[in-house]
Amino acid sequence: MFISRSEYDRGINTFSPEGRLFQVEYSLEAIKLGSTAIGVATGGGVVLGVEKRVTSTLLETSSVEKIVEIDRHIGCAMSGLQADARSMVEHARVESQNHSFNFNEPLRVESCTQAICDLALRFGEGADGEESIMSRPFGVALLIAGYDEDGPQLYHAEPSGTFYRYDAKAIGSGSEGAQAELQNEFHKSLTIEEAETLVLKTLKQVMEEKLDSKNVQLASVTREKGFRIYTDEEMAKVVERLPAN
Amino acid sequence: MNHLPQAWGRPRDDVYGPYDGSYLQNDGPNQHSQSPIVTGTSVLALKFKDGVVIAADNLASYGSLARFTDVKRLRKFAETSVVGFGGDVSDMQYLDRLLNSLDIEEAYGSTGHTLNAQNLHTYLAKVLYKRRSNFNPLWNQLLVAGLDGEGKPFLASADLLGTTFSSPSLATGFGAHLAQPLLRKVAPDEETASKLSLEQAVEAVKASMKVLFYRDARSIDKYSIAVVTKEGIDLKQDEKLENQSWAFAEQIRGYGTQVN
Amino acid sequence: MTMFSQNPLMNGPNYSFSQTPTMASGANKEHSFYPYTDNGGSTLAISGNDFMIMAGDTRSTSGYNINTRYSPKVFKIGGTTSSQDDATLVLSVVGFAADGHALKEKLDAIVKMYRYQHGKPMSVKACAQRLSTILYGKRFFPYYVTAILGGLDEDGKGAVYSYDPVGSYEREQCRAAGAAASLIMPFLDNQVNFKNQYIPGSGEGHALVERAKDPLPLVVVEALVKDAFDSAVERHIEVGDGLSMMLITKNGIEEKFLPLKKD
Repeated sequence: MFISRSEYDRGINTFSPEGRLFQVEYSLEAIKLGSTAIGVATGGGVVLGVEKRVTSTLLETSSVEKIVEIDRHIGCAMSGLQADARSMVEHARVESQNHSFNFNEPLRVESCTQAICDLALRFGEGADGEESIMSRPFGVALLIAGYDEDGPQLYHAEPSGTFYRYDAKAIGSGSEGAQAELQNEFHKSLTIEEAETLVLKTLKQVMEEKLDSKNVQLASVTREKGFRIYTDEEMAKVVERLPAN
Repeated sequence: MNHLPQAWGRPRDDVYGPYDGSYLQNDGPNQHSQSPIVTGTSVLALKFKDGVVIAADNLASYGSLARFTDVKRLRKFAETSVVGFGGDVSDMQYLDRLLNSLDIEEAYGSTGHTLNAQNLHTYLAKVLYKRRSNFNPLWNQLLVAGLDGEGKPFLASADLLGTTFSSPSLATGFGAHLAQPLLRKVAPDEETASKLSLEQAVEAVKASMKVLFYRDARSIDKYSIAVVTKEGIDLKQDEKLENQSWAFAEQIRGYGTQVN
Repeated sequence: MTMFSQNPLMNGPNYSFSQTPTMASGANKEHSFYPYTDNGGSTLAISGNDFMIMAGDTRSTSGYNINTRYSPKVFKIGGTTSSQDDATLVLSVVGFAADGHALKEKLDAIVKMYRYQHGKPMSVKACAQRLSTILYGKRFFPYYVTAILGGLDEDGKGAVYSYDPVGSYEREQCRAAGAAASLIMPFLDNQVNFKNQYIPGSGEGHALVERAKDPLPLVVVEALVKDAFDSAVERHIEVGDGLSMMLITKNGIEEKFLPLKKD
């Protein structure tokens, strides 16, 4: 098993005899090392939350940027190699602007997710021998939250280029525990406020550090306000709401 | 006068001025054709009950000089269609080569599917439009005759600008002025054309060819005529205009032997 | 000039002796290929409360010649079948027919791709913006056409968007384009937008009350379109032969063809 693996994980685009692409599978491992990110979709909007790993007391926590805006109505949270996420987000932003330039309407959340996933398999050379633009798969997963004519939506995009829509999804190192918690707690009639609490409560359970308003970040996408990253004051309020234990 | 051999066959400098050597340059910018050189005149075509009749004379003119008198301007394509070429003859020959290679490429397919006249017309129109968009036109007006995808008679035109249109009867060049009115009288609309017999259609086209020979100074009395039906193509390339009557010429000043 | 300057030293074949070169040798020659032509014809679009009508004559011309009596200028856009019978958008193009055809094919392909990529049909608003960017994309070698786009907007109201050849566009109540635009448009101003129509005796002198801008019903609009074209045919040589009309309602597109004078 180990021998065959070392042979087939060199060529990035080479299937193993069992039909696996090892490099892509390894890239999924990179995400499991990343900080936890959670998204919860409600009828009124989507809430995203991430843990910021404060590795040093000298670190300026506001410089840890794991939730970013793609357009006024779409934002995303990331887990894994942040640098990889930058180029994906950049692509999504351009795609979104192009769409509204060409069609005078906001890009749909699903189309935006698809545009990001189109990038995912651009490693290795193409079928016609074109130069590849990436030497390896992305090492990051995204939770893409947005609001369009079909209402609030949450998507999970993987380095393999597949994406699925979720009501609630956790990615990153604490994802297993967090997903189980979401599975128990999620219901269709959650409000935005309840979703905020659920996200932080779940993060709190899986984080190694003690959760405070500095080492987590929330954002939401709603019809009225679009994508918004919570200010320090708003963060403090939500953290205060959390049941103490 | 210069009697040296290198001057033989060249325009006299004292009459025409010194030879303009700038035309011999092969560096510098590439000039695309800005006008046709050796040209063919009208092409005529008329739909009838079972197909299309198409005709063009066999002359290629160099300006006012009747330069080549045996140039066939109707080309068969894949035994399904006929293309009639007006305008530049070298561009016609280029398109003919293009169509030959297209035909060969298509014939390699195992399905036995061949392009019909409608497919061919779309293809040619795109080639012409692409070339005009690159400011490097193919200086032709073409008529494509044959059958469409449903086996109905098909006739359409495409020109150097990529303009396309279709009609029960079509005529290019001088024919648009002289022959088209005669053909439209025979087939004013699709309905009427779909009732014409082969004989009626051939007669109308031949009559129009005669009128064109009388009045078009760049025409000749040898012509090609093709009939395209679902049975195939009947192409005759060495027809001679018959029953000419030049009696009217005597009445016209400048014709014949009149002195004043 | 270039047509007759057939000196062998300049172009090629020629008549006779006396034409020696008139240009300095090696001078730049003027490019004489002009990539455009005008194929005449006219189009017209009027929107109503819950419908719109797009119409165009079917004559195609080259100078004084009639190329054909049936070459439609109004097209359905973005349907899912080869007959386009489930389309919801219409485009009319008038001017240089080859460009018009190329533009129509391009827009149609884009609208079809949009349906695949975004899983929904394209709205007229989105299509209108896209058509503008297509036209502007060829700003320095324009599609020489006047385009009009029609459909129903998100509220089900008739929508007419009109364009210039390089993509300026605007949503309007009605628009005439092409050879007889200057004949038809004033008629529309008066009959659709009620310009210069006042209620008799509603005020002193010229201070009269304007006629209320009530939306026109479909039968009235259809009659206006026919009248507009019958009149244009009388006064413009490039307009005639046939009238191709498309009526867009929530039930889809209904096509109509009427003969026009062929003289």
